[in-house]
Amino acid sequence: MTPFQAAVIVAVMVFAVGLVLLVGVVSLKWVHRRRTNAHKIRRGEYLRAISQHIAAPGSIPRFSALEAGDDAFIDAVIALRSTLAGDGIEQLEGVVDLTGLIEQQAVKLRSLFPLGRRLRAVVALAEIGDDRAARILLHHLNDRVPEIRVQSARGLARMRYTSAIDVILDRLDEESPWVQSRFAESLALFGRDAVWPLVAFIRVHHRHPKERSITEIIRILGIIGDTEVGPALAELLYTAEDVEVRIAIIDSLGLIGGPLALRPLRRMIQSEDWRVRAKTVKAFGLIGDPSVNSTLSEYLNDASWWVRRNSAAALRDLPGGLDLLHDALNSPDAFTRDAAAEALADAGELVAAQDRLETGLGTDRDFRLVGYMQASVGVQS
Amino acid sequence: MPDKKRILVADDAEVVTTLLVSALEVKGYEVVVANNGRQAYDLGADEEFDLAVVDQLMPGLLGTEILAKWRENNVTMPVIVLSGVEDDELVVGFLEMGVDFVRKPFRLPELLARISRYVS
Repeated sequence: MTPFQAAVIVAVMVFAVGLVLLVGVVSLKWVHRRRTNAHKIRRGEYLRAISQHIAAPGSIPRFSALEAGDDAFIDAVIALRSTLAGDGIEQLEGVVDLTGLIEQQAVKLRSLFPLGRRLRAVVALAEIGDDRAARILLHHLNDRVPEIRVQSARGLARMRYTSAIDVILDRLDEESPWVQSRFAESLALFGRDAVWPLVAFIRVHHRHPKERSITEIIRILGIIGDTEVGPALAELLYTAEDVEVRIAIIDSLGLIGGPLALRPLRRMIQSEDWRVRAKTVKAFGLIGDPSVNSTLSEYLNDASWWVRRNSAAALRDLPGGLDLLHDALNSPDAFTRDAAAEALADAGELVAAQDRLETGLGTDRDFRLVGYMQASVGVQS
Repeated sequence: MPDKKRILVADDAEVVTTLLVSALEVKGYEVVVANNGRQAYDLGADEEFDLAVVDQLMPGLLGTEILAKWRENNVTMPVIVLSGVEDDELVVGFLEMGVDFVRKPFRLPELLARISRYVS
């Protein structure tokens, strides 16, 4: 065989393999498209059939267990479940009962594999969202697969199935950080229903923050943002010994806001720990009450750079705070002046001052701010 | 026999249009469906309807944009906006325009009762 013939044979073989692969990919795409279209058509048919039953109260639904095994039927039920309220939901539950949909999904969820089918079952149960589905999901909070536990918690939270809150809390410490974080999101989804169980849990366990995910739970209270929880958090703030717990409470009080949050924070600003003071002034900024302006102005001179910086940032966001920051540019302390100038620049004051100076409308404090920043750049360069 | 009352249902969600078509046809209405904002505007401007049920968030044109364009073109049929949008200002705006508002998820008998009140 000549080298030319060998090269031709190799080229033909490469071409043939490429052609086979191309035909394979095209075939798979074609099959996928057909399946997707068929699914869409069946979903539409199921939507029509169930809608006609719901539209004619008293009619007898013509569905059987066969439909419950079809993903298109499940999608149609889920879509109607999220569209309807009131009596329509009861009629839909009648259809679900007739087909044994929940029982079929429970069997799929109990099976050992494949994971994709189990995940689809847990999501379907969460979306269907009735009491029987909730009891099944509650059981699977102990599932061996983390994704199933996470989806079960999320589903129970979406249903506002409050009996699940204590079970999720009890499981938190046994979980990996990833699952803990997803569980925390689910607890936040419960909203106000979760507030008092979370407070009770923190009261019992806050002396052992390393053993329990206390800081995570305290932050969930901040995300939920119920102002009524302020006094309970204040009480915990006064008794907590661990600095991480205190910081988490301060963060949450800042997010929750309201007058009830200010009083305990005013006490925390006197802490000897700079981390507590830095978080407290940040919380003042989040709460947005200008009655703390003079306190923040005082803490622009704090011994800690972080406290000064956070105080300046808080003043930037508070009514009347910019005037105090301009005043702080006259401070004898260079660090205070830097923190104030940085916050003023972040607030857009520097650009505005430069514009006014260029148009001849500048004021004394515009000169001072622009001059200070230019001098700082000069010193640095 | 009197003509059937005509209702325009505009929503990009198949579940909503299918449900409303079923429920309104059972009540004896003639229903025309639009699946996007542009189609909804064209149908409302070109044909006669006794009422329109319009979703706020649709591809093409938003519910508010459709209403504004209809008003510009003297399309004066009653409108019920059906939406899951959690924006109180938007809802107040609809009510001030004389447009009824129903929040998703909705109670079907309540929506049908409102429709009946407008077209009867």
